[in-house]
Amino acid sequence: MKRRLYISMLLAVCNFYIANAQLDSIQKLDEIVLSDAKLKRFASGFKITTITDSVIQKSSWSLTDLLRFQSNIYFKENGYGMVSSPSFRGTNASQTAVVWNGININSQLNGQLDFNTINSYNYDSVEIRSGGGSVQYGSGAIGGSVHLSNDLRFEKHADHRLQLAYGSFDSKNLTYGVSAGNARWSVDVGGSYIESENDYKFLGTDKINENGQFENLSFNLNGGFIISDNNVLKLYHQSFSGDRNFSGTLLAPSKSGYEDRTHRSMLEWNYFHDNITSKFKLVHLFEEFKYFENKQLDDFTFGRVNSFIGNYNLNIKLTEATELRGIVEASIFKGDGDSFGMPSREALSATILWRHQVTDKWIYGFNLRTDYTSDFESPVVFSADTKYQLTDWYSITLNGSRNFRVPTFNDLYWNPGGNLELQPERSYQVDLGQQFTYKFFDLKINGYYIDTEDMIQWLPNATGVFSPLNVDAVKSFGGEFELLAKQTFGEHQVNLNAMYSYTISENKATEEQLIYVPFHKANFNVSYAFKKFEGFYQHSYYGEVSIIGGDLEGYTVGNLGVAYKYRLSPKLDSKLQFTINNIYNNAYQNVAFRPMPNRNFLTQLTLKF
Amino acid sequence: MNIKNVFVSLSIVGLIFSCSDDDAPTAIVPSTSYEDGILITHEGQFSGGFGTVSYVSNDFTTVENNIFSNVNNRTLGTVAQSMAINGDLAYIVINVSNQIEVVNKNTFESVATINTGLSNPRFMTISNGKGYVTNWGDFTPADDDYVAVIDLATNAVVSTISCSYLPEELIEINNKVYVATGVFDSGNKVDVINTTTDTLEQTITVGNSPNSLQLDSDGDLWVLSSENLVEIDTTTDLILQTIDFGGAFAFPSDLNFDNGSFYIYDSGSVFKMDEASNIIPTTPEFTNVNFYDMRVRNGLLYGLDARDFASNGTLQVYDLTSNTEIQTFTLGVIPGGVYFND
Repeated sequence: MKRRLYISMLLAVCNFYIANAQLDSIQKLDEIVLSDAKLKRFASGFKITTITDSVIQKSSWSLTDLLRFQSNIYFKENGYGMVSSPSFRGTNASQTAVVWNGININSQLNGQLDFNTINSYNYDSVEIRSGGGSVQYGSGAIGGSVHLSNDLRFEKHADHRLQLAYGSFDSKNLTYGVSAGNARWSVDVGGSYIESENDYKFLGTDKINENGQFENLSFNLNGGFIISDNNVLKLYHQSFSGDRNFSGTLLAPSKSGYEDRTHRSMLEWNYFHDNITSKFKLVHLFEEFKYFENKQLDDFTFGRVNSFIGNYNLNIKLTEATELRGIVEASIFKGDGDSFGMPSREALSATILWRHQVTDKWIYGFNLRTDYTSDFESPVVFSADTKYQLTDWYSITLNGSRNFRVPTFNDLYWNPGGNLELQPERSYQVDLGQQFTYKFFDLKINGYYIDTEDMIQWLPNATGVFSPLNVDAVKSFGGEFELLAKQTFGEHQVNLNAMYSYTISENKATEEQLIYVPFHKANFNVSYAFKKFEGFYQHSYYGEVSIIGGDLEGYTVGNLGVAYKYRLSPKLDSKLQFTINNIYNNAYQNVAFRPMPNRNFLTQLTLKF
Repeated sequence: MNIKNVFVSLSIVGLIFSCSDDDAPTAIVPSTSYEDGILITHEGQFSGGFGTVSYVSNDFTTVENNIFSNVNNRTLGTVAQSMAINGDLAYIVINVSNQIEVVNKNTFESVATINTGLSNPRFMTISNGKGYVTNWGDFTPADDDYVAVIDLATNAVVSTISCSYLPEELIEINNKVYVATGVFDSGNKVDVINTTTDTLEQTITVGNSPNSLQLDSDGDLWVLSSENLVEIDTTTDLILQTIDFGGAFAFPSDLNFDNGSFYIYDSGSVFKMDEASNIIPTTPEFTNVNFYDMRVRNGLLYGLDARDFASNGTLQVYDLTSNTEIQTFTLGVIPGGVYFND
């Protein structure tokens, strides 16, 4: 019944839109240049933190390294470069959605994304959208979502970028990218190879990280072609192939190895007509892992999933102030693995987004989504958000949403234990933000509350076999401060970005803080530039966390970097950067008994031509 | 027993961080003696966790968790699987860390750490003045499983004896060690090792996945598997009788022998069978319990409840004359073995 209702609502709206309103050039440009324009246009009441390519390129390659200093997200990393999972606003590893050019790429196998399988050099920007986003981004966007974006430039250009890096523990990085185009077409091709012996000292012991070697190769190709004023074709592709050994712990050695491969491709056709934007996307996602208990042997366990997604997006500008977007998405997920045979799952979703700029100062939006899946019933989810600009320097944002996370292939089909009776995890979230903008600084203060029920937990059943059940309930709430400041004194430029978060995330039954959720986390980045010289310092503080059977001490980490830019020839710019990571040589762990690296060095040379 | 958890953890690499929470341990001044009580080994979390040992005095007045770290100021390795006691010493088998911690059983002070020659060690027993430790090697290959022989004077592995796939519990009698092998429906053998020559003497086929071994009053060996109970003459190594369950039990485990009776745990219930009987018990002694392991001695049953395998487990003591619970204690994470320190 519900399904019919929504589809007819969509159709009704399509049929009787009010003409007159025209897309302005900025809006049209957004739709062409950006892979996910709704992140910009349908999220007025959400806090979105954007990390630009200059910041990305200063950092080391992994998304974990980038975000641990640039966000409030806590990462649980099984040793440097190993499996890394997020805790965003006190939620668990599968409650943060990672979105690649508008498409949710969390694993269908375990619902998570390993942040050390993303090379951030492959992206033009990374956006962190705090707060529930299931309406727009689907399963798992409970604490928030992390967006990996490739932008297309439609102007005459041909830019090459070559980055070479060498550092401690025999770490090497070779990254090359070319971006070219003109007013009709744009193409971006790049590749990156990362390798490290990763044999750092376990400070305070006589051990080293013996089995932590990793290497990975990534490739991306993004292009767009403006066929006519009305038609644009776009293609996005990203591949990643990683080979890691899994580090041991302070208590136990390891000889295991792990390989992962992902391919993501999306073909997109945009059609513009008067006040209408229509987008049709075809997406293929492939994920595969192989786990070797003993890397010397050929025996491994594996899992893989192919996802095929068709997405249709219709955006109508009803009046100058109002806009409506309807999205229909159909997906097929086909799995294959040692532990669950060859299951497959189908899903269909219908979404409506509404946006209304009431006055210059006030905007609100309302979103609604319903899902139909072959194995279980997904809840109808919604979101409402608003932003009110009270004065030039002060605005308030508010959003509330209902969100969900679907059971994964592991949860449903694992043999033994998989439970086909599972329902999605359901969550309500509300977020109030205040933003102060004054000349050189920008301060955001947010408070949120997340209430999640029917959380999936694996428990032994009466016969002793572990099986997942919708049993857990968690409430998370907290406050976040985010300060951005920028000031120029003559040729001196100073940038500061500082963040602090206070997080309470409790199991409702026990009223105890969840494991690996610190009450306090703070970081700041300060950079200074003068002519050809640039310097930066990053600092992170993590409070104590509880772990199973105990506590893990808090820690601080600091990184210091200096860079020098030099024009080698009119067409060849170079930048040499030297970074000292963990400058205080602090022993620290973000997962118990899995030490992180001692003080280490990295030299990067970037050539642009 | 104790392997379902291992299996799940081994396989679900991505579930490492499934959410849960837990009590923080409180600092305790260690006792000076852990005699006249029971020692409980705790596996702790499989992935990156740490094992612990608790002490409960026989009069139930003293309880202390984390006794190894309280005394030695360091953490036990990952997955304290089992323990063997010999003379004044206790040998704690640390599965994932491939170690055996040797401690004085009364003071719990560390004496030695055996950390070479072990690969996925599981259980240990003593025979002929030597230690015998079952080792899985890597999980998948069927040809790297062995029993390590330990010289108890030097605390070193002195030889290895190849054995059937996935060796688990072992029991010694008359200079022979009987090794139950096979889990997850992947084996049905009991290996017989001669501890004078340290050779594998023979392999006896029993039921599927033999999980516990007991000796009765006559010195016969009883092997509990998922499908039957087999009685073996330990002089001739011949099977005396096989009692088929015929589907009466779903996951029978934890065979115990006390005062002429066997006790079996199955799916939340405890069953009792006379050693002279060959009829499967159908009426449980008591039910609605959740034991990860249990031990019976002198009319008392010590049951370990590992709860959700992430928060602290409990020890429940039952009086078997009245079949009532007489004591319950909160212990550490994943309690998995009860040992008597008299």
